[in-house]
Order: sequence, then C-alpha cells, then structure tokens
Amino acid sequence: MSLADSNMVLPDLTSFKKGDEHAFKIIFEDNYDRIVGFCLQFIPDREEAKNIAQQSFVKLWLNREEVNTINGICAFLYTAAKTECLNFLRHEKYKSEYQKNTLKIKENLLNRQILESFHFNKLEYQELEGMIQLALEKLPERCRIVFEKSRFEGKKNREIADELGIAIKSVESNITRAIKILRKELRDILPFVLWML
Amino acid sequence: MDNNIIIKYLQGTASEAEIETFFQWLDESEKHRNEFIELKKIWALTSKFENKEGVSWSDIQPEFSKPVKKRFLYSFIKNAAVFILLIGIGAIAQYFFFGEKDEHVYARSFAVTAPAGQMTNIELPDGTLVMLNSGTSLQYNSEFSSGKREVYLEGEAFFDVQKDVEHPFTVKSDYLGVRVYGTSFNIQAYPEDREFTATLIEGSIGLLDKNGYELSKLEPGEKAFFNDSTASIEIRKVDTEMYTSWKDGLVTFRNEKMDYIAKQIERWYNVEIIIQKEGLCDERYFGTILKNKPIDQILDVLKLTTSLEYEIVPRANKPTLIYWK
Repeated sequence: MSLADSNMVLPDLTSFKKGDEHAFKIIFEDNYDRIVGFCLQFIPDREEAKNIAQQSFVKLWLNREEVNTINGICAFLYTAAKTECLNFLRHEKYKSEYQKNTLKIKENLLNRQILESFHFNKLEYQELEGMIQLALEKLPERCRIVFEKSRFEGKKNREIADELGIAIKSVESNITRAIKILRKELRDILPFVLWML
Repeated sequence: MDNNIIIKYLQGTASEAEIETFFQWLDESEKHRNEFIELKKIWALTSKFENKEGVSWSDIQPEFSKPVKKRFLYSFIKNAAVFILLIGIGAIAQYFFFGEKDEHVYARSFAVTAPAGQMTNIELPDGTLVMLNSGTSLQYNSEFSSGKREVYLEGEAFFDVQKDVEHPFTVKSDYLGVRVYGTSFNIQAYPEDREFTATLIEGSIGLLDKNGYELSKLEPGEKAFFNDSTASIEIRKVDTEMYTSWKDGLVTFRNEKMDYIAKQIERWYNVEIIIQKEGLCDERYFGTILKNKPIDQILDVLKLTTSLEYEIVPRANKPTLIYWK
C-alpha cells in the first residue's frame, strides 16, 4: 500500500460537474482517508477531524461547477480542509481550557501558522503526489519500509518494531531520517509551492 | 534536542515534559521553527486515516437532484448558521460577563496587550495604573485579586502602584524583576532587545534577579540597566523625564543611534524599516519628538539634522515598509 493507489480510477470530470452520484462516490472513496488524516494532524479530536473532513466534501459537492480539472479536486479538498481547520482553531482559542494552558496556546498558534503556509491552489495535487512518491523511492530501503508502515498503514511504532525485529528507538530514528530526507528532496523540487512560508 | 522527540510530537505520543522540551526548542530560533513547519507539512500530506467505520459518501451527502430539497437544505444550513452564531455570541458573552465566577477555582490568567502602533491604559484590580507602550503585553492571573500582586511584562510600561505594604507588588520579565513598595516607575523589557531598564520616579523599588532575590534598591531618579549579553547591571542617576516622556506622547532622544531610533519607530507605528544607507545606523540624533504625529512628519524632523532620506512603500496585509537611504 502506498500513498496513492496507482491504478486509481479517475472519475469523468463532466459527469462529476453534472452531479453524477457515482463519480462523486469514487472521489470520496479515493480521498476521504487522507483528508481526515490531514485534519487529524491539526485537530487531534477524531470526531472533530472527521466532521471537518466531511464538511470539505460537502463543500466540494456544492461548488462542483467551479472545479476545472480532475487534479483540481484534490487541491480543492485540501484547501477546504485547511480553511475549516483554521476556523476551528481560531474559535478553539477562546475556550476556557486554553486560557490557562500556555502549551495549548502555543500549539494552536503553531498549527495555524503551518496551515496558513499551505498553498494548495497553486499546485496540481497529482503532481505533488507523484513527487512525494518519487522522493519516497529515494529513501534507503529500511527507512522507507518503516516510514510507509507508520504513515500509510497506520501501524504503531511498537508493532513495526516487532514486525521487523528492531528496537523502538530504531523505528523512531528511521522515521526521523525519512522525514529529513523527504524534506531535502522535496525542497529542491518544489521551492515555491510547498515551502512558501 | 533529541530528534526522536520531534517524531514523538508528530505522532502524538510525546509526554507533557517532552512537549515542553519540544516547544522550548521551537522557540529557540526562527530556524528551528521553519524546519519544523516543513517537517510537519510533509507529515500532514502523507497522513492517512483508517476509515474503520466505513463512512461513505451516501452517509453525508446533501440531498441532490432534488432542487426543492436542496433549497430546504440551504435554508436549514443558513438557519443553523445563525443559531450557531447566537450560541457563539452567548459563549463569548458568558466568557466576558460571567468569567469571574470561576476565578477562585483555578488561577486563570489575563493578558492585556498594546499592539504595535498603539498605547493602552489599564487599571489593575488593586487600583494600580499601568500604561503600556507600543508592542507590549502584561499578564497576571486571578490570584492577583486575592493579594498576590504579581505581573509579567514583555515590553515597556509605566506603573503607578497602589500603596499596600502587606502585599508587595512584583513585576517580572524575561531578565530581571522589580519589587515595589508603592511608587511610580518605568520598565522597559522587550524580549527581543535582551535588555532590561527600570527607572524610578518616586517611592522605592527593589531590583530582583530571575529567581526573585533582591539584588539592590533603587532611589528616586535612578535607572537600573541590565544587558543580557554582558550580564551586568548598571545603576545611575538620570533625568527621569527622558525615560517616561513616552507616556505623554513625547519622546526624547539624547544622542541615540539611528538604528535604535528606527526600532522605536517600528514599534510605535507598526512599520518595518530597512536601513540601506551605509553609516546611517551609527549617526546620532538629539531631540524630542511628538509621537502622535503622522510618521512622515516624524521622519521629516529626523531629516533636519541627519543625512536621512526615506521612501514609504505600503504593502497589503503587512506592515508598511520604509526604506532609509
């Protein structure tokens, strides 16, 4: 299993725009997991994250006529999720538990800063995904296996350690290594897209 | 810092102590922050959730191909939005008007901020008057009202402290602090300057180190200056007017270097100044300026006795940029 299933069936844009239920079903199935996954990185509450992700799909449905390319669909979903997450975090700040917890406030600000630095409109998502895939292939094998098990198969560090017969520490450092290499690889490819800070 | 802490933080398995270490590392430098932002972006984009409940589009889709229902849905959403807005207003109102109720349950903190370009006056619960200069924030918690008169300052403020011998008033900052015995004084402690200045007008104050130990007492008319890089404290007699004139909208520069003046102006007007001219940083200016004048008038005054030339470039959604050339 990888980030994108390579033989993914692309829905037909015209039928999607017309409101074809089947086309939309495909889009939902292909993207739901990663949009929820994305939201979860900023909103740890699973129910909230799912709710926000679902809102993004409803938004896509209501605005389907504005989407001009198939690849634009993913960018639209991420943008909608970003906006919804930002709104949520802005309100979260006023909740009373935030008033006394400086770490929570710091985290809230940090997450907002990160979200704001995403510019999905500027890229064809498909292209970005291909690049991430390419960068993944450049990782040392052990490193890539650990990273993929952790990120795409949702396995816990403990499970990966047992499965591969290595120490938990080594799982952690392989993930660290993977993400540092990815950062370097992707920074060279996409200087003005992902890294616009 | 241990790299694995970053991974643990990303995976959401870091302990409270590790999270604290993580944020310390993050706050250490802009470089750390940017590095983490890049890592987190990759993390978020490669994240997948396991849809165990098997949620499908038909569970959440709005009714389609039925225009009448669609309109119903729309008005439902609209009404729901108004309703949620009202709940929101209620919640905010509750926070503002009834917030004090749970004051004694836990130490809730309050923060007052004067944004760049503005000054703010506040009266603390004990009657102490504080005037905050531009780009300053003052924090205290609910224990303040029950006698623990302690505030935390980032920036510059003038204090006129209500006398109360039994409850000393303490000002803390990133560097030094001050214990007060009913008096008025000025403190400048912008974290980015890595300096601390306390100027006493009347009464008596004690200078505190980070741990709250009294290092020395100040007499009226004395100024204590601490610099983080030399870690030395200097106490001397000064013309206090110079250090407090900002609160009357006046500011006095006595032979100050232009880069220092630029920093001050950045705070008052919320602008960004870029000094391009070689040697201008080290030129000095002597004089009093009226702070509440438009910025171009201030710059014109500076132009009279220095070699300053300027260009103002307004920018959308960002502070105005001013080149000194």
